[in-house]
Amino acid sequence: MTAPIIQMRDVAKYFGGAIVLSSLDWEVRQGQVIGLLGRNGAGKSTLMECLLGLRELDGGSVRLFGEDVAALSDASRARIGYVPQKSNLFEWMTPLQLLDYFKAMYPRWNAVKVDALLERWGFDALMLAKPIGRLSGGEQQRLSIIRALAHDPELLVLDEPVSSLDPAGRRAFLAELVDGVIERGTTVVFSTHILTDLERVALDVAFLKGGRIALQGPLDELLEGARNTLDGRRAEPVSLEDLFIEVTQ
Amino acid sequence: MVLQPPQLFSIVTGSSEPIYRQLVEQVRRLVAGGQLAAGDELPSVREVASMLAVNPMTVSKAYSLLEAEGLLARRRGLGMVVAEQSSAQGSSRERAELLRPTLERAAREARELELDHATVLALFTHILKEPS
Repeated sequence: MTAPIIQMRDVAKYFGGAIVLSSLDWEVRQGQVIGLLGRNGAGKSTLMECLLGLRELDGGSVRLFGEDVAALSDASRARIGYVPQKSNLFEWMTPLQLLDYFKAMYPRWNAVKVDALLERWGFDALMLAKPIGRLSGGEQQRLSIIRALAHDPELLVLDEPVSSLDPAGRRAFLAELVDGVIERGTTVVFSTHILTDLERVALDVAFLKGGRIALQGPLDELLEGARNTLDGRRAEPVSLEDLFIEVTQ
Repeated sequence: MVLQPPQLFSIVTGSSEPIYRQLVEQVRRLVAGGQLAAGDELPSVREVASMLAVNPMTVSKAYSLLEAEGLLARRRGLGMVVAEQSSAQGSSRERAELLRPTLERAAREARELELDHATVLALFTHILKEPS
């Protein structure tokens, strides 16, 4: 068995007096596609930021690709793609300038893929020359996704990546995830409240509750297990939404 | 004959039926009903995954289960085909059994709506007579 891609041990994170993460242990293995679920305010974004080394921990440790995230090598950093919940793009740049800027930072950059996605996702010449701050929320989110996919990352961390997209945009994103990302064996951690999207792509789900991973397992097994063994009697079948409410209550 | 995924498969999300199970049931129904005959080639895992925007592993799992059941066979260079022994249509009792999951779901909803049996059966008879 290969070492896990993400390894979190006894992680703690506080904001002032509020405990967001506490004694959190989590492992993600290579090639896993995991949906991270939890109620609003459960700490999903904080968990993702901690696992990427974007926030200092108040306890515990995080290892990515076997390295301590606090001293992550540039080589490992270049293997990660991240789509934050709020797009953190430079608003005064144009999409073209932004992509050129990031292209210079990564040793590997798939220009063919970037061009294809820009075209498929409706970035015409006019839009590519506009300051990012004047693009709509959905357009910024699409650009943020393209940026995160451009260097063919081996680990992709997506924090509510489709919250600003319309149904057609969400479907186009899912198609790219299936064809261009999962097919390559990329490890994906994906948080969303749109459970119907999640169940298409996530083979595993992890529930964050009370500052730790309260439940994790293969989605099919969790659904079928909940159906067969709830309270020891044959229960009504449950959907992912039922399971979400049951587990996070 | 190669059937195109849109004709062959459709999935419902938000259901209590995992997606791989929905795919398995659909192939069983198509074979039992004769729409898929022995030797017919199924679309590749990739094609189905891409068309439905689902994880390829989910499609792969469905195909593997159907292969283990003997309904599908893996043919070198061709991918998955409908197996020989499943060419004969099942008996009407076997085919009816494939309706069970759908009817169980309908029965549950009928109970929730507190409908009496006669009303539900009358409605089903009516629906059966509607042109498809």
